[in-house]
Amino acid sequence: MLAPLRSRVLSGAPSPPCPIHPPWRQLGFLLRLASTSTSSSSSAKEKQGILDLAEVEKVLSDVKADDVRVIPVRDQCDWTDYMVIATGRSTWHVRNIAQALIHKAVVDEQVKQKQKGAERMLLPSVEGHGGGKWVVIDSGTVIVHALDEKARAYYNLESLWTAEISPKGPNQDLEKAIVKTRRRNNSKKPMKSVQ
Amino acid sequence: MIQPQTLLNVADNSGARELMCIRIIGAGNHRYAHIGDVIVAVIKEAVPNMPLERSEVIRAVIVRTCKELKRDNGMIIRYDDNAAVVIDQEGNPKGTRVFGAIAQELRQLNFTKIVSLAPEVL
Repeated sequence: MLAPLRSRVLSGAPSPPCPIHPPWRQLGFLLRLASTSTSSSSSAKEKQGILDLAEVEKVLSDVKADDVRVIPVRDQCDWTDYMVIATGRSTWHVRNIAQALIHKAVVDEQVKQKQKGAERMLLPSVEGHGGGKWVVIDSGTVIVHALDEKARAYYNLESLWTAEISPKGPNQDLEKAIVKTRRRNNSKKPMKSVQ
Repeated sequence: MIQPQTLLNVADNSGARELMCIRIIGAGNHRYAHIGDVIVAVIKEAVPNMPLERSEVIRAVIVRTCKELKRDNGMIIRYDDNAAVVIDQEGNPKGTRVFGAIAQELRQLNFTKIVSLAPEVL
C-alpha cells in the first residue's frame, strides 16, 4: 500500500508543487486543483493543461459545428468564465465534437509534458459522451456544450445565460431581505423613543 | 443522509414535486446517500399535465441535504431541505431549469449539466 505512494512521491519530488500537496490529491481532484489555480490569479497557470477559448473555437470550426455561440459569463457566475454552445447535426457528430476537443487537449498536454517535464496530465472532464444528445466538456475556465438540435431547443441554454435573470434573482431576494430587516429596525426605533 | 423511504423535494421544472427514495445507486452496502449521489426514486406527487406522473420510478441526483456537507477547507454547508434533480439513464436532466443553490461538489462529481442549469453555485 505504501510502496506505490512512496514511489509516486519520489518521482514527484523534482517538480515544485508536489511536496506541498500530497500526490493522491492531485490524482483525485484534478478539476478542483485547476479551478483553484485559476482563481488564485497567475495566468501562466491558467493556461496549463486547460483549453483556451481560441483553441476551442478553432477546433469547433474544424469539425464544422453549427451555430457556435460564446457567452462570457464571468460577471454572472463565479465558477467559470466562458460558456461555448455548439450544435451537432447528429449524435455521432456531437460525440465527434467532444472527441476532437479531447484530442486537442491531449496533444497539447503531451507537448507541454515534453517541454516542461510536467508529471501529470490535466485533462478536461467530459460528461454525457455515451448518449450524444448533450456532451459537456469542462476545462475549468471554458465550458463547451455540444448539443443536438432538439436538445438545444429544449434546454435553451442561451436564454439562461444571456438573460441574466437567473443570477439577479437571488440578489433581488437578498435586497428584499435587507429591506425587511430595515423595516424591523424602523419599528424598533419608535419603541426606543417611547422609552 | 438520504435512505430508502426518505421524501425529497424536486429542485427542477421536470413536473415532479415530491420524490421518495427507494434505492441508492452505486453505494453497495452503504446506508445513506449524500450530495452528488444518484438514487432511484418514486414520484409521490406531480404537477398535473406534465410528462412525469405519480408513482413513476425515476433516477435523481441529490443536490441539497439537511445533513451538513464538510469541505476540506473547513467550510460546512447545510440546507433547509432535502432536494434532488430528476435525470434519465444517460444523466441528462429531465427538466430544463434547476432552482435554488447548488453545491460546487456536483461539478467535481461530473454533474456539470445540472450545475450549468443552476442559478447559483455555492
